Amino acid sequence: MTTNVPVIDSHAAPVAGRKNFLNCSSGFLSWAGTLDHKRIGIMYLVGVSLAFLAGGLFALLVRLHLWKPDGMLFDNVQYNQIFTLHGAFMVFIFVIPAIPGSLGNMVLPLMLGAKDVALPRLNLLSFYLWLAGALMATLAIVLGGFDTGWTFYAPYSLYTDQAVVTIGLAVFVLGFSSIFTGLNFIVTVHKLRAPGLTWFRMPLFVWAIYATAILQVLATPVLGITVLLVAFERLYHIGIFDPRLGGDPVLFEHFFWFYSHPAVYIMVLPAFGIVSELVSVHSRKPLFGYKLIAFSSLAIAIISFLVWGHHMFTSGQSTYALFAFSFLTFFVAIPTAIKEFSWVATIWKGSIALNAPMLYTLAFLIIFAIGGLTGVILGALNVDIHLHDTYFVVAHFHYVMMGSIALAFFAGLHHWWPKMFGVMYNETLAKIACGIIFVGFNTTFIPQFIMGSRGMPRRYATYVPDYMGFHQASTIGAMVLGAGVALMVFYLVASLFQGKKAMQNQWGGVTLDWLTPTPPPLENFDEAPVVTTEVYDYSTLDYKAMQTPVA
Amino acid sequence: MFALLIQDPVNINGPDRSPQQAVDAYGQLTKLASTFSHVDGLFYFTYAVCIFFFVLIVGVLLFSVVKYRRKTWDQLPASNTTHNTPLEVVWTVIPLIIVMIMFAWGYMGARDMTVVPLEASRNTYKASAKQWNWTFHYPNHPVASYNEVWLEVGKPVQFLLESSDVLHAFYLPAMRVKRDVIPGRYQSVWFTPTTVGEYHLFCAEYCGKDHSKMYAKVHVVDTATFNAPQRPWDQWEDSTPELAAKSGANLYSQLCIACHSVNGTPGVGPSWKGLFIKNADGTYTGRQREVIDNTDGGKRKTITVDDAYIIESVHLPEAKKVAEEPYVRNAMTAFPDLDERKVRGLIEYMKTLADTK
Amino acid sequence: MSHDGHHSVVIPAPGPEFVPHTVAHHFDTPVQEFQSMKLGFWLFLATEILLFGGLFAAYFYFHESYPETFRLGGHQLDWKLGALNTSVLLLSSWTMAMGVRSSQTSQKQKTLFFCGLTVLGAVIFMVIKFFEYRAKNEHGLIVFSELFHPYDLTTNSLPWFKDYDGVMAGVPHPHLFFAIYLTMTAIHGLHVVIGAGLILWIMKGTAKGRFHAGYYLPVDLVGLYWHLVDLIWIFLFPLLYLVP
Ligand code: HEA
Ligand code: HEA
Ligand code: HEC
Ligand code: CUA
Ligand SMILES: [Cu+2]
Repeated sequence: MTTNVPVIDSHAAPVAGRKNFLNCSSGFLSWAGTLDHKRIGIMYLVGVSLAFLAGGLFALLVRLHLWKPDGMLFDNVQYNQIFTLHGAFMVFIFVIPAIPGSLGNMVLPLMLGAKDVALPRLNLLSFYLWLAGALMATLAIVLGGFDTGWTFYAPYSLYTDQAVVTIGLAVFVLGFSSIFTGLNFIVTVHKLRAPGLTWFRMPLFVWAIYATAILQVLATPVLGITVLLVAFERLYHIGIFDPRLGGDPVLFEHFFWFYSHPAVYIMVLPAFGIVSELVSVHSRKPLFGYKLIAFSSLAIAIISFLVWGHHMFTSGQSTYALFAFSFLTFFVAIPTAIKEFSWVATIWKGSIALNAPMLYTLAFLIIFAIGGLTGVILGALNVDIHLHDTYFVVAHFHYVMMGSIALAFFAGLHHWWPKMFGVMYNETLAKIACGIIFVGFNTTFIPQFIMGSRGMPRRYATYVPDYMGFHQASTIGAMVLGAGVALMVFYLVASLFQGKKAMQNQWGGVTLDWLTPTPPPLENFDEAPVVTTEVYDYSTLDYKAMQTPVA
Repeated sequence: MFALLIQDPVNINGPDRSPQQAVDAYGQLTKLASTFSHVDGLFYFTYAVCIFFFVLIVGVLLFSVVKYRRKTWDQLPASNTTHNTPLEVVWTVIPLIIVMIMFAWGYMGARDMTVVPLEASRNTYKASAKQWNWTFHYPNHPVASYNEVWLEVGKPVQFLLESSDVLHAFYLPAMRVKRDVIPGRYQSVWFTPTTVGEYHLFCAEYCGKDHSKMYAKVHVVDTATFNAPQRPWDQWEDSTPELAAKSGANLYSQLCIACHSVNGTPGVGPSWKGLFIKNADGTYTGRQREVIDNTDGGKRKTITVDDAYIIESVHLPEAKKVAEEPYVRNAMTAFPDLDERKVRGLIEYMKTLADTK
Repeated sequence: MSHDGHHSVVIPAPGPEFVPHTVAHHFDTPVQEFQSMKLGFWLFLATEILLFGGLFAAYFYFHESYPETFRLGGHQLDWKLGALNTSVLLLSSWTMAMGVRSSQTSQKQKTLFFCGLTVLGAVIFMVIKFFEYRAKNEHGLIVFSELFHPYDLTTNSLPWFKDYDGVMAGVPHPHLFFAIYLTMTAIHGLHVVIGAGLILWIMKGTAKGRFHAGYYLPVDLVGLYWHLVDLIWIFLFPLLYLVP
């Protein structure tokens, strides 16, 4: 992709003293009131990272407690609150907004050659809604906590004496934050592409964010009305979910999963986007099957609306419903399989750089294969009847949510870190941390697969001693994992203070984001870019003429 | 002797939750004890498929990383292909075929598990779930047992599931069955136990505080034991005062522990300690109690605690209320389900808490 | 193609009583701005429809489960008042369309007049709604003063529903119809109020001369919103008042 940015300079060191979006103005208000997508992206980044660390801390408490069959740290109610907090924080406050909010905001307009997102004010509003939601969730802890599980299943969520209304409204607000982000990105992709940037010249990260945005807009309102109805049930007893009043708790499950299944793809599609981008850049190869990957994102987005029933295989649905939901569940695995194979094929015979972003990406590819394939196991009707609500499911979704999405998020973070801040982190530490995280992660969750298939139910504060060995292995793994995460946080933060200056085009990428100065100026490009070449055409860069990168 | 019984943690925690002998290490699943072998079959099939693809993917990745690793900054890729239509068709179609096999296999299995055969429906137990315990009613027997149930080996059985509060789930890992228990509607599961032994029954749907303690033990016994004149679950009930007290302790820890203490500390309801007084000759007398008799216009009376009073307290707690703050104001859950034999067990248990004269 | 805000695109005002509109800095052309906002707003309307979609799904589900309750419940509503409200809203949709039209042709007074009429429509709608609610309150079908009181476990009854033995006797879960009626109409009513507020805001801008043939986007969008509010009522009215 050439532009009127001279190609030969694209690996130049940043010009000293140049104004960029970070130093063009300063002071609290210049951030709090900013309409610049890059600053909003950074605020999101800080926010979701804190949410991740908080959620991770809850996870460590969960793991510590489960060291002994009778539990170590808490009574049952406290334990239930902790795992609920962990799930709710990780899902609603961390993983759904994480990639679109931070990296999406940061990179999407750059990749499109736009000056900003289409609706900058709405973008800022999304961030503040996120903040409000996060604060309300925290307030709910102060008000005594909530112990419903992240799924808020009725009727328990209607009867428990805890702060369900507060957390429900928090989820409602967070939902609208997510809707507005999605809406904004759809409009941006439709209306603000640079001249010459046709749909099939868009980087796959953009495609992924676009498919995500469609899901955000179409699925989240149903979650909104669902949590609202739970709040109404608690406030004035409508009766639609309360069996004492003629309501049907299974209806709640349908409502909830109608959102929450698409939601898992809201979480994972941006991660797919990052991985698509990174395997290409760090292998210096155009993506294998570009169009197929782009279309498969859309296919996933559409089919994912039709499989929600696979979370309810044991709830007594009719065999027809079972048939349809299981069938479609398997169907949705196919576009994903296509993606996985295409990534591997892209790496094949590439020029593979084993830097930190690529290591995280490779870790993703391995872990996601396990996470996705165990999802396929769960899609099998009779097997799921045995595995439903056991630690097998817990391990499945951690393989996709922590091992895949969080690792892809880390990969993207390392990839765009030099672009965002103009500095490089310590590569050696980054590789070590990646290794620790990989080992720790697998040690945490492989035992969970085994005990799950042996019948260990989830959401258990205490358990029969049969499973003690597995739980202890898992706990040890979680501690290792926590150490790896802590190390990562350490060197990333340290790089802000003493990192080496990054190159303009640190990795030798050819999408527009790498062709602006590093860090980008306030309105992204000095000259409005015009795209004249196909996407991922690495022959347009003269690598020999570029300096060797730092590290 | 009775003191020992009380301190025995097994009784306080409901049925013995110690490891099962049946949990052995063959493969990844618990040893199967029902006829639903298609679950295991499909599980290991998909498992094998997973391992195959996993090895394939990791193999290709490792090979590429070793072989094509970038050595100099300006190294270009060894190939720039972006398509290979035959390859793409292959890797779309093969997984498609594989998942369709899984789908068909899984669906047929699930149908087998949902369609209850006649034989099983003739042998229908009822399992009532309640925060946080299970009550089982037997076919053709007026008795019920709590958190423990006896089945006959080789005989198809159906469980009719009902919940009187929130969602629960009836989960028997060894039998590979699970079904949500939903208030306001009946659900059912069936299976044929194939191996004599003791099995865990878990509640697999989150139901609040003691979700993880909502545990029952399933005993699969041979036909002779099952049909013996002394039914297996009878020994759980009574016969000797000791056994009755044991079952009472069991019941206590499931149903009454939330409100009644056994060591004198006041709770929602009065402690059971000292409800009876042990005489020198080993017999028991009830203590004196001041009550408000709602069956008699709310008059204040002093009565002696006896079996009838306790039975009434369990079946109709509002009839005579303890005239003491705060108990007069607190309501007790009624347990009309508890038949006289069960209450006798409870009474025997209360007697073990007696003060000696 | 400005990067520093020095030469932003400005749409001139059609007359002295109007003010020019400056296109937001990150858009290159007014058309781009117009289309972006419009697309964004349509997407927002889609989320609104989906939000109500959940409520409609609940309605249909319980209508299936307890047809008798819904039949009898529907008879307790006054279809005449409902029909009156429907016509008020339909009329206000027309006045809103006229308001948008006038704004597009830079007719300030006419815009204010029609928008004013639309707000009047909203007020009439809410007043009628108030009387309907009051009637339900008096008959004990929805006792507003006891709405937030907890469910009574000992008698298995709801404090806000006093009609277990009255007109609704004999059908299962008689409160359900009214709970759904209240929830749907209250959320819709909230939208009416928000819509009226938006129209007032439009009128303020119009009075200042901000909207004219060159730039009427906000008027257009608020118009769309009002039509949506109307459209939802068009579905609510037959479902609640007539179908049963
Ligand atoms: C981002 C998160 C995410 C993602 C991407 C997925 C992906 C998938 N999930 Fe998962 N899932 C969750 C998050 C996610 N899931 C969560 C949070 C829960 C539990 C919620 C709760 O109860 O709390 C859950 C639960 C869950 C269940 C319910 C289990 C139960 O409660 O009983 C099922 C059942 O069908 C399922 C299936 C699948 C399938 C088929 C996929 C597919 O999309 C996977 C596709 C991927 C692959 C197939 C791997 C890559 C391909 C290859 C390696 C090639 C070879 C492929 C084949 C031969 C098929 N998931
Ligand atoms: C994105 C989603 C996400 C992520 C990333 C995680 C991450 C982790 N989860 Fe998560 N988990 C869920 C989503 C997620 N989880 C959900 C939805 C549930 C279901 C809840 C429910 O049932 O309702 C669940 C449930 C769940 C359970 C089951 C609880 C139960 O059923 O009883 C367990 C148990 O082991 C667990 C463990 C972990 C662990 C060890 C991690 C680790 O990967 C965490 C790693 C991170 C850290 C360890 C943080 C390290 C931070 C520090 C060490 C602090 C350092 C501070 C500074 C440097 C400033 N989780
Ligand atoms: C919800 C709380 C609660 C539960 C559960 C409960 N009780 Fe009670 N119980 C009370 C209260 C309160 C009183 C005192 C008021 C009264 O007499 O009704 C009481 C009183 C009694 C008495 C009279 C005691 C006396 O000192 O005179 C007996 C006997 C009794 N309960 C037995 C039982 C048994 C047996 C169970 C379990 C099967 C049980 N209770 C479960 C709350 C409870
Ligand atoms: Cu009952 Cu969980
Ligand atoms: Cu799902």
